Amino acid sequence: MNWKSAKLIFYLGTFISLAIFLVLTFDTHRQVETLTHADKLSPEVIAGKRVWHKYNCNDCHTILGFGSYYAPDMTKAYWRLGADGIKRIVREPEKYTTWRKMPRFAVTDEELDRLVAFLRWTSEIDTNEWPPQDQKLKPGLLAQPRPAAVSAGLSPGAALFQEKGCFSCHRLNDTGGTIGPDLTHVGARVPQATIAKILTDPRSVKADAIMPPTALSAPETEMLARFLGEMK
Amino acid sequence: MPLPYKTQRVAYPYFVIALLLFVLQVIFGIWLALSYAVTIPQWLVDVLPFSTTRAIHTNLLVLWILLGFMGTTYYMIPEESERELYSPKLAYAQLALLTGVGVTAIIGFIFGWTKGKPLLEIPFPLDWLVVVGALIFLFNVGMTIVLARRWTVIQGSLFGGLVFLAAMYLFNLPFYNNLTIDWYYWWWVIHLWVEGAWELIAAALTAWILIKITSVPRETVEKWLYVELGLFLFTGITGTGHHYYWLGAPKYWLWFGGIFSALEPLPILLMVADAGHYVRNRRMEIKGKLIFTLATGMAIIHFIGAGFWGFLHTLPQINYYTHGSQVTVAHGHIAFFGAYVLLNLMFFYYAMPKLRGLEEFDERRGTFAFWWLSITMMLMTLAFSVAGVLQTYIERVMGMGYMTAQAQMRFWFAILVVLGGALLAGVILTVVDLLTLRAPRSAERDSAGRSAAATVSHS
Repeated sequence: MNWKSAKLIFYLGTFISLAIFLVLTFDTHRQVETLTHADKLSPEVIAGKRVWHKYNCNDCHTILGFGSYYAPDMTKAYWRLGADGIKRIVREPEKYTTWRKMPRFAVTDEELDRLVAFLRWTSEIDTNEWPPQDQKLKPGLLAQPRPAAVSAGLSPGAALFQEKGCFSCHRLNDTGGTIGPDLTHVGARVPQATIAKILTDPRSVKADAIMPPTALSAPETEMLARFLGEMK
Repeated sequence: MPLPYKTQRVAYPYFVIALLLFVLQVIFGIWLALSYAVTIPQWLVDVLPFSTTRAIHTNLLVLWILLGFMGTTYYMIPEESERELYSPKLAYAQLALLTGVGVTAIIGFIFGWTKGKPLLEIPFPLDWLVVVGALIFLFNVGMTIVLARRWTVIQGSLFGGLVFLAAMYLFNLPFYNNLTIDWYYWWWVIHLWVEGAWELIAAALTAWILIKITSVPRETVEKWLYVELGLFLFTGITGTGHHYYWLGAPKYWLWFGGIFSALEPLPILLMVADAGHYVRNRRMEIKGKLIFTLATGMAIIHFIGAGFWGFLHTLPQINYYTHGSQVTVAHGHIAFFGAYVLLNLMFFYYAMPKLRGLEEFDERRGTFAFWWLSITMMLMTLAFSVAGVLQTYIERVMGMGYMTAQAQMRFWFAILVVLGGALLAGVILTVVDLLTLRAPRSAERDSAGRSAAATVSHS
């Protein structure tokens, strides 16, 4: 190989790739506006991003799959946990973790609201269906018509089940998550009173439960326990 | 043998500090593996979370690798430009500044002072001081080259790489409102460093060493350098796209990222072929056997780590399941080790004896340490990979909970704690060896002390 072709490979290789990269970067900026719903980047969402940085969340959790790998990915955390779930875990992490701990941070309520706003916005980014394990929780999917047993019109207990995000972890008639047990026939296995106890404080029944205590009122707990007790 | 240029001496403290930080980095790494394997009590997690120790582990890595590059550059530039360094005082000031910033940042992390962006946690205004340090460095090196008026391809590649490196860091300075854009430019720092700027620096340093220790003509080496850099930059720049599959960027990145990064192993393969070529054509058998071992080892493990392990999960169809899992960690460890740790060690072993006034040195400990480190790191990579495959399958394919997968991976992290201990032993051996290099036995017996000429004539 002579000098001329060696230099040609260097200059062509570098500049062709650089040109492609810069053109795509320009176009990406244009499209990201839509793909990330940049119009919804409210001051609260941006303040939430600062909270995310302040507590260095990203050096344990991944987000968009980037960061450290020590704790669950937060891209679709809002789908999995909802606003309440996120807040409860950050406030009292020791209640929701078993053998791997999350630090207790002195996060203020205002910061928590902002963090939730940020994670809600993040969950709406079009990530080409990533991460795979959270796709079953896609809000659109849960809103689709479902079997009669869980249609909101049928029983107030079923409505609660849907509203409180139980589907994030549990399945009923082939719908919902797989983190917790399938509850389609839970009434045949677990008495209604025990269900109510689990709803209030899961660890009072199973010491190493990873399910968070629900923040339901007493009548709500009873309603939901009755609904689940009838799932036989 | 005196150094050709006395200002090359400024490299020495750079190397010493880099080596000490290397030991610290591995110690923190073992703690991280332990945090995956066993339960760290809540009170300790509250005081010293994983996030803090992880930030320390990765920042120490970046800091020592960069200090190594800088020391190496200061060692090489006078010889390559045939002129003393522009200002040794500035070089020492820069080292003091960067080490000071690094130590302050690490202590700051422990007290929660952080920018909160992985790998780039150094907060304002320390990040600006890093820029100041980089500018001093570029000024000092640039002035030396300019005043020498001797422009070589190797200098061009090295200085180009250093400017590229410093320029990319600037993308880390602003606060980005949009998370997607934030990560988009985060990769301009991280990816374009390791698969762009650092490769330029690495290729230049390797080329320089090969000219020094083989009789391959400069012209051949520099021609190949052009070709290699062309391929590195062609695949590396647009290859950044393999990080843009799932972050909210347009779908065409799946094509551009996939195709360009599939080509990324090519320049590394060329490097391996190149190294083989030099090894076959070497003339001077006596000096620098260890340097050759390190150069060949670097080329091969660079290919295994950055090339093969990278290729394994770079295609979108696979990356969809492996993205952000321990598979990434496996790739990260072996790629950094093969590409940049061994590069630094190779240069340390080249320059340290000369800085310590040795013509030759006893290579046995160093050779043993090289094999020990390389084998341990390969085993670590396999352990990370098994953990990664488990995680990918249980969490991503089966759709079970994050912690369900982590529970199955604990065993492999227990193995990693043990391997980490072994790695630490190897690192300490390397550091001790480098700091206490001595002449080989045969030379000690040579009462005249002019061993070099004698040994060469023996061969």
